[in-house]
Amino acid sequence: MIEARHLSKLYSRGLYALRDLSLTVDKGEFVFLTGPSGAGKSTFLRLLLRQELPSDGAIVVNGRNLATLKRGEVQEYRRGLGFIFQDFKLIPTRTVVENISFVPEVLGVPAGQRGRRAFQVLKWVGLQHRMNAYPADLSGGEQQRVAIARALINDPVLLLADEPTGNLDPDLSLEIMNLLREVNAGGTTVVVATHDRELIRLVGRRTITLDHGKIVEVA
Amino acid sequence: MRAFDYAMRQAWASLQRSRASSAFAAVAIALAIIVLGALLLVTWNAQRLVSEWSSSAEFSIYLQDGATSEQRGAIEALLDGSGATAGREYVSKAQALTRFRHEFSELAALTDAVGDNPFPASLEVRVRPDAERDGRAAAIVQRVLAMPGVADVRYDREWLGRLSSAVRTIRAAGLAIAVLMAFAAAVTVAAVVRLGLYARRDEIEIMELVGAPVAYIRGPFIAEGFIQGGFGAAVALAVLLAVFVSARAWWASDIAGLLAGAGLQFLPFRLCAYLLAGGMIVGGLGGFAASRHAG
Repeated sequence: MIEARHLSKLYSRGLYALRDLSLTVDKGEFVFLTGPSGAGKSTFLRLLLRQELPSDGAIVVNGRNLATLKRGEVQEYRRGLGFIFQDFKLIPTRTVVENISFVPEVLGVPAGQRGRRAFQVLKWVGLQHRMNAYPADLSGGEQQRVAIARALINDPVLLLADEPTGNLDPDLSLEIMNLLREVNAGGTTVVVATHDRELIRLVGRRTITLDHGKIVEVA
Repeated sequence: MRAFDYAMRQAWASLQRSRASSAFAAVAIALAIIVLGALLLVTWNAQRLVSEWSSSAEFSIYLQDGATSEQRGAIEALLDGSGATAGREYVSKAQALTRFRHEFSELAALTDAVGDNPFPASLEVRVRPDAERDGRAAAIVQRVLAMPGVADVRYDREWLGRLSSAVRTIRAAGLAIAVLMAFAAAVTVAAVVRLGLYARRDEIEIMELVGAPVAYIRGPFIAEGFIQGGFGAAVALAVLLAVFVSARAWWASDIAGLLAGAGLQFLPFRLCAYLLAGGMIVGGLGGFAASRHAG
């Protein structure tokens, strides 16, 4: 599914965010990326989202080298991804259901179809009763569940999460992780970047530890 | 079509959210269009009047008091055979005196004091518009001037030429000012749209990350500029029309006297449509410039 070959990312001041990193993630796998701040976890996710290009080496997803994708191909590639951020990135002026249906809306899906699908995923994350609420009226855990619902509305083959529990207490964090495990059980490959060692221990999946842009441990 | 519909809905919502800054951008466009429109209004009317006056061009051939009927016949034969004239009228000395006394009644007493009739007989010749344009009329005038029995020929077209040239100069200078103002208006629109873009940066990031087509990402910002431009241009045309109607009503009698009955007209529908389209294009370009920061 994901193959990084001698991947490096060098920033302008001569700092390496990733250095000669090689790893593979199989289709349907659930993987944690961990390590201290500045280890390169978020950079790896940005490369996977094709927000950045590698300075050296290659990153290949489903047989496609992300560095060589043209603009149209990048759009098509991203339509198969889901993403979750620590700060949720919900649109404050839209209701819960509007936040979720926003994704198919900007991909040109007809209104009726996107409304049905939005309700389905909202029900799956257990927030159908809050569909007309605004993000500001929701708790942190609820907001992250909305973000998960938004990430799932397109049935992604790969779900990327950057510190998805960073703003949540331990109970809510576990709740979010359980949702991600369910997503993974449905066949979606899940890559979660987190520095929360306790959470990783509770979930118990393959963990790749990075430090200064290099893999220091795979457990 | 869905992208267009989405762009228009989002643009409208954004305009509603930022009424004050959007109004500011629309005013900038309106000012540019008012300058350009006022200029077009003046030059278009001036050009129209110049054309009208040019098409009714005449020249007068003043005959010497001792001119014989043969000499007059030779002049008339030259005029008739030239193909440059649309008609002619002979005005005798007596008719010229009567005409003067009628048109300048307060000066009529002067002619009594002079004794002999001081006015020469003349031939008043109407020139065909094509002969006026291609210079044949001027050539005939030169030939007539050299003929025996001719005292003078009055064919004063220089002032019309000067007026035409002044209209062209004013138009060129005004266009340059209007282009500068349009550029400033586009920059203003771009700045306002960029404010909206900044406010929606999370939304735009999400759109990029889910692989939304460029039309969905940039479309709303271009549409926003387009609407601001159209609105500004419509306001400008309304202001111009109101000022024009008021000015015409206020100075109706003065204008009629100055223009010898020829009326002033507002810009034709075609030019109004061009100005409206121009405002939309300027606004759209501003929106497009801002949208380039959206991905």
